[in-house]
Amino acid sequence: MHLPEFNYYEPHSLDEAVECLNEGQRGAVVAGGTDLVVALKQRLQKPGFLLSLDKIPSLKGIKSSNEFLSLGAMTTLEEIIKSSLIKERFPALSKAAREVGSPLLRNIATIGGNICLNSRCRFYNQSAFWRSANDLCYKAGGITCHVTKRKNYCASTFCADIPPVLLAYGAVVKLVGPQGERTIMLKDFYTGEGRFPNEIMAGSREILTEVTIPFPPAELKSTYYKFRLRDSIDFPLIGVAVAFEADEKGRCKGIRLVFTGVGSGPFEFRHAGEMLSGSELKEELVAQVAERAAGEIHPLKTDLISPRYKREVAKVIIKEAIMEAGGGR
Amino acid sequence: MMMKKNIHLEINGEIKDLTVDVNRTLLEVLREDLNLTGTKKGCNQGECGACTVLLDGKPVSSCSLLAVKADGKSIFTVEGLAPEGQLHPIQQTFNEKGAIQCGFCTPGMILVTKQLLDSNPSPDEQEIKEAISGNICRCTGYVQIIDAIKALSDVTKK
Repeated sequence: MHLPEFNYYEPHSLDEAVECLNEGQRGAVVAGGTDLVVALKQRLQKPGFLLSLDKIPSLKGIKSSNEFLSLGAMTTLEEIIKSSLIKERFPALSKAAREVGSPLLRNIATIGGNICLNSRCRFYNQSAFWRSANDLCYKAGGITCHVTKRKNYCASTFCADIPPVLLAYGAVVKLVGPQGERTIMLKDFYTGEGRFPNEIMAGSREILTEVTIPFPPAELKSTYYKFRLRDSIDFPLIGVAVAFEADEKGRCKGIRLVFTGVGSGPFEFRHAGEMLSGSELKEELVAQVAERAAGEIHPLKTDLISPRYKREVAKVIIKEAIMEAGGGR
Repeated sequence: MMMKKNIHLEINGEIKDLTVDVNRTLLEVLREDLNLTGTKKGCNQGECGACTVLLDGKPVSSCSLLAVKADGKSIFTVEGLAPEGQLHPIQQTFNEKGAIQCGFCTPGMILVTKQLLDSNPSPDEQEIKEAISGNICRCTGYVQIIDAIKALSDVTKK
C-alpha cells in the first residue's frame, strides 16, 4: 500500500512550525513517523500536509539540571536507551524505551511520538480493505463502536509504553501553540477518550516540544513490566509502571502504579499507597494490592486477549513489578 | 500535482541527488527508482524487518521512513556489502551455516548482523537475540542465524 498524497513541510524553527500548523487546512505533525506512516498507509488519517520536526534543532536531545531531566520531543528511543544517566536515575524509563517495538523502530521513533501515540483497537488498526468489510467504527469516522456496540463512543485502547513510566515519575510536558507555550502535567495531556486520546488529537493545534521529569530521591525504585505475546515488536497487551519509595527500614513510604493497555488512557491505581504505606513488602500483602488493582481496571476486547485473561495477567505482573521495585526478592 | 523534494543521499558510498515525491518511503525509492531490490518489502508496516537498511550506520525499517526524512544521511543496503559476484564474510557464513532458507529476511538479518558486529565484535547470545529481535524469519527458527552470528563473532575474536 502506497501513501496517500500530502504536502510536506520542514520548518527550521518552532515559530515557523506553529504558524504552518495553524494556517488553513488540517495537517499532522510527524516526528519519527513509525506509527503515523502505517496509519497513513491504512488510510486511518488523511492530513492535508505533514509537518516534520526534523529540522528544528531545539527539539533534540537530553538535558539535565540539578533538579530536572528534560527530553526534547525528537529524542529517539535509542538515545534514551543509550543514556547512562537515564539508566541510572530513571531505570523504568530506560526499560520501557527498550520494550518499544524493535531496534529498527527505536532508531527512528521518538519520545514525543510515543507520548502522542494514538490509541489502538482490533477494529481500527486494519487496512482500508479489511475495514471496508464492516461499517466504519466511530474512531474511523462511523457511528458505532464495534467492540461495545455503543453509538458515538470509542473503546480503543491506549497502549504506549513510555507514558505510564513518565506519569509514575510525575512528568510535565511543554506544548507550544498559537497562544504561546504552556507546561502541563502529563496526566492532563490525556483526555481518556478513545477517539481523541490527547489534547493535540482533540484539536489543540499545538506541538509537544519537551517532557521534563524531576529527579527522584535516590531511595525511589522504579520499574516497568510489559506483557505481550511476542517478546519483541508487539504493543503491550498490558503494561505497568511502578515507582516505589521506602523509608530507612524498608517500609513503604509511597508508591505509584500506572497502567497502559487497560483503557482509553493511562490509568493510575490510587489505592496502592494506602494499602502498603508503613508496611514491609510481604508477598501476601502485595498480592492483595495486585488483586484489588486488577479488579479496578476495565479492559475491553480491543486486542488479541480477553479482558478476563488480561485481569489475570495483571495480577501477576503487578505483583512481580512491585516486588522487583521494592527489592522484595 | 504531487509535491516533490530534492534530497541528497549517500547510498553505499555513492552520492546521489534525487527528486522524490514527498509521499514515498525510502523503501520505495530504493527499490523502484534506484533498482536496489535487495531490500525487501515484507509487511510494509514496520513489523518484519525485511526492509532493513542502515541509516547513518543504524538499522531502520525503510518502509516506515519517508524518503525525504533520509535527506542528508548515509544509507547502506545489502548491495553495498561486497562487489558483484563476491560474498562478504557475513553472507558466506550465513550460507555455510544454513542461516538462509527462502532468503527473504536475509538482507535484513545480514545488515543487523553487520551493525552488531561493527559496534560489538564479540556479542553474547542475548545481545545477538536482541539485535535480530526486529527481524522476523519464518523458515529457520532463528537457531542457524544465531549460530552464524556466533561463528562470525568467533572469527573476529581471533
